[in-house]
Amino acid sequence: MSRPAHRRPEYHKINKDLFVLTYGALVAQLCKDYEKDEDVNKYLDKMGYGIGTRLVEDFLARSCVRRCHSYSEIIDIIAQVAFKMYLGITPSVTCNNSSRTEFSLILDKNPLVEFVEELPAGRSSLCYCNLLSGIIRGALEMVHLAADVTFLQDTLKGDRVTEIGITFLKKLDEKKYRRKK
Amino acid sequence: MSRPAHRRPEYHKINKDLFVLTYGALVAQLCKDYEKDEDVNKYLDKIPHTFLHHRGYGIGTRLVEDFLARSCVRRCHSYSEIIDIIAQVAFKMYLGITPSVTCNNSSRTEFSLILDKNPLVEFVEELPAGRSSLCYCNLLSGIIRGALEMVHLAADVTFLQDTLKGDRVTEIGITFLKKLDEKKYRRKK
Repeated sequence: MSRPAHRRPEYHKINKDLFVLTYGALVAQLCKDYEKDEDVNKYLDKMGYGIGTRLVEDFLARSCVRRCHSYSEIIDIIAQVAFKMYLGITPSVTCNNSSRTEFSLILDKNPLVEFVEELPAGRSSLCYCNLLSGIIRGALEMVHLAADVTFLQDTLKGDRVTEIGITFLKKLDEKKYRRKK
Repeated sequence: MSRPAHRRPEYHKINKDLFVLTYGALVAQLCKDYEKDEDVNKYLDKIPHTFLHHRGYGIGTRLVEDFLARSCVRRCHSYSEIIDIIAQVAFKMYLGITPSVTCNNSSRTEFSLILDKNPLVEFVEELPAGRSSLCYCNLLSGIIRGALEMVHLAADVTFLQDTLKGDRVTEIGITFLKKLDEKKYRRKK
């Protein structure tokens, strides 16, 4: 049974340490470039947005996810498929409001900060992992969903876990969404 | 049979695309910061050294330690063995590819790693305008050099061929600078 050359599943899997090092280098470089934490955070988010818009195509192609009919389903896919694929972890999910548009992803373990003992001196407002918020936001926008994404808890700021809050801004119009198939 | 919590093999494996795109963001940022290609190249090469030796960043030591632990490599007795491990174990582990190896001199201190496919440039169509001397993947030279330094080996590492510069393959040249003293090396066990 011959396997098509481009479908080498193992080819796409790597050890995460080199990625974690590269991410650290990126944050360090931005900290050199921008004095204010807010600017570093903003820039990380912007970079992440660009990455998210490109990543989502590969994600959809590789993960073969079905069409979602609710925000909850989308959040589940982000947590159980996307995070697993790109960061090797599966955050747990909570829904924070009754209209089911506000969610949280709770990360017990955050690979991005594995080698970071603490925030650099004078960088107490640095949102070290802010690339992730941009990525999630950019990816969702490519599938026509607008969302706010922020870090609600951060282990580097003393919290017990990392919590990413995702709030969908437009009500998902099911009929309209299905027609896009 | 219980498995120790820290030895979760799958936990360490991720899809490479996020890494590749993040690497691209790093290169793009450095291109903003440094006008000359030589400076970008130098900086990319230096980054791993900073991480490996700076006390605040444990990652370098961890990277090498983790690699040695996970790959269970035996003690090497020649530079050829070391190069084989870099190609077949390290590259496989961190980039998902296995470059082929050539030895370029009779004293067996100069080697090349030939990459048919280079995952780092998968999303890069061409070098940015005005960046014809940019060595896009130069972080790799720094990593290889830094990692070898951690095991007391000095080497020069450069890109001899680069697909982004029109070459057919990517070729990384590794030249060991000190003769490997076997007896001395063994004693370090």
